[in-house]
Amino acid sequence: MSANLVETENFEQIRDRVRKLPFELERYRELLLANVIMLGEIPAPTFHEQERIHLLEQRFNECGLQNCSIDEKGNGAAIIPGTRGDTTILLTAHADTPFPASLDHTLTLEPDRIVGPGIADNSLGIAVLATLPTMLEGLGIRLSSDILLMGAVKSLNEGNQEGLRFFLSNAERPITAALAVEGVQLGRLNYRSRASLGGEIACVADNAHEEVSALDVLNQIIYRLRKIHLPQESETRLILGYIEGGVTYKTPARKARLKFQLSSDSDQTIIDITEKIDSVIHELSKEYRVSIDFNIIARTRYGGLDPQHFLVLQARRVLTTLGIHPGSNAYSSVISGFVENEIPAMCVGITTGENLNYPDERIDISPIMKGVAQLIGLLLSIDGGCCAGHQ
Amino acid sequence: MIEEKEKRGLTISLCIPTLNEEKTIGKEVVLFKSELVDRYPLLDEIAVIDSGSTDRTIEVAASFGASVYLSADILPHMGFKRGKGENLWKAIYQLQGDIIVYVDADIKNIHPRFVYGLVAPLIYRPEIKYVKAFYDRPLALSKEIRPSGGGRVTEILVRPLFSLFFPELTAIIQPLSGEYAVRREILERIPFPVGYGVETSHLIDVYDGWGIEAFAQTDLDKRVHRHQATRDLGKMSFGILRTFLKRLKSKGIIKDLPELTPFLRQFQAREDHYEQIIHEIVEEERPPMIEVPEYRAKRGLE
Repeated sequence: MSANLVETENFEQIRDRVRKLPFELERYRELLLANVIMLGEIPAPTFHEQERIHLLEQRFNECGLQNCSIDEKGNGAAIIPGTRGDTTILLTAHADTPFPASLDHTLTLEPDRIVGPGIADNSLGIAVLATLPTMLEGLGIRLSSDILLMGAVKSLNEGNQEGLRFFLSNAERPITAALAVEGVQLGRLNYRSRASLGGEIACVADNAHEEVSALDVLNQIIYRLRKIHLPQESETRLILGYIEGGVTYKTPARKARLKFQLSSDSDQTIIDITEKIDSVIHELSKEYRVSIDFNIIARTRYGGLDPQHFLVLQARRVLTTLGIHPGSNAYSSVISGFVENEIPAMCVGITTGENLNYPDERIDISPIMKGVAQLIGLLLSIDGGCCAGHQ
Repeated sequence: MIEEKEKRGLTISLCIPTLNEEKTIGKEVVLFKSELVDRYPLLDEIAVIDSGSTDRTIEVAASFGASVYLSADILPHMGFKRGKGENLWKAIYQLQGDIIVYVDADIKNIHPRFVYGLVAPLIYRPEIKYVKAFYDRPLALSKEIRPSGGGRVTEILVRPLFSLFFPELTAIIQPLSGEYAVRREILERIPFPVGYGVETSHLIDVYDGWGIEAFAQTDLDKRVHRHQATRDLGKMSFGILRTFLKRLKSKGIIKDLPELTPFLRQFQAREDHYEQIIHEIVEEERPPMIEVPEYRAKRGLE
């Protein structure tokens, strides 16, 4: 029997199983929603996720999972043992949200949606991790591979995926493949990472000697950044995302700050442009006699799975079987940590939602079990050996 | 706690009284059902008793798995009176538990501790009859959110009254909190004002019948709910005061009391003049449930 035929037969079995899952999973709806609320109402700004991770860990313990632990970076992990346990699939979700602890984190549960800060990014994702062991046990699904569940800390923005990177570079067991879970959007199928650099430029003018406004300097920096050639063949882009400065309209600003992202399909292009930014800053700090600091706050590497990789093709089939239209954007920065560690990885979303990263972030309830079904379908597919390579 | 509950052969019912609580009821039902029925079987029953909501409260509560009862449908021949106390009273007839936990439906930061924190003293300590919640100030303060603990009506009205007439009851940190757990044997023997005075009258009646030793209090950390307008608190105070004075008279603490008007008069400013608003606040009372023949028949009481 040819390898392709075996794969086709495997897939037929998986597809039959996956098709029934959304209906079968409905009985876990309240359990999942309760976990979403309990985890989501614990504030977890980046670098302060401990309390949320402790509850996740408590959930893992309640499910009787193996090796429940919190590592030195604060990641919470546990293992659902497989029947053979000779391979390991990592299922991870980031625990942090972009909201400060001082914000009211109360969530509102309506019949068809949940509203509140961080619900989509990524309280739902972390709640899926907390609930999946109970779901798999109740459905009688046991993989031959171990499933390593991991709530990652220090992921967003300046966190620069510190928790995940630490975990992957210190993992004691080889990881066959990884799935990253995000609350939204259902249908996303990210398996590649672009090269990128998140940068912060901070300008401080000493107004005791000169009436120079830090905003004027920053304006010059922006002008010069926009003059830098961005190679189109590598789809290089510069996004100016955030700016702040000054305290009042009456006096020259003493401080100003810019945050930006540079992205490209080439790691070398990022390196080259970073050098150019360095030299712009050097020149302008001399010209204006002000202090300008350039800090790199996040980095990702170019790479990931090929669109023809079995895992990608199988993922598309799983989504299609469930009536989910796979999105066309293959890229997400989430994949970078896995690229660096040469682990085949994919990122999927669980449901639909809107107002992402605003306090009135919202998710739809009814598609959630379809999203969980896709996740189980992918686990079954990876367990069935679809990480082997290209078609 | 569940082992101890089972060892003592106790059953516990949760009652959530509602009137137009569609925003918060779903979360309460999901959390309590998932955590305290499915995961940890502490609750034997979750019931929403509704006073006739006109929003989606009933639909939402039912969709998340609560048993929903219309207050008017319980003991229908005794009629329906609008008020939270009416729902609490009818819950004694409708629900099965040896312990009934009452939790308000408007709590934004609901958590399983609101139930397990209240029932624990009743499970472990047979001499405790009535457990009342108290709270710290919420961290999140905004225009919409106020501390429930040491609220305005408590500090301005109830605490001074208790200090004057029932000094031992001043030990109750939050006498007006809507979260409490009580043994059925107590609930069925006390009357229920149907309106604002229900919590105050409970404390006086339980204290009168079973002493201060019957009470326990649980720190439930924080309670975040909607801020109430001062004018609404005026109505609440009026109802509580009427109930309180009635209790003083029935217990012979004060003898001569004129007939109390049910009308509260308040003012509101409109453009360049003031106008008076008259609210009729009738503080009716339901009798102890044990005096209701249907209840006696249902519970097999002689």
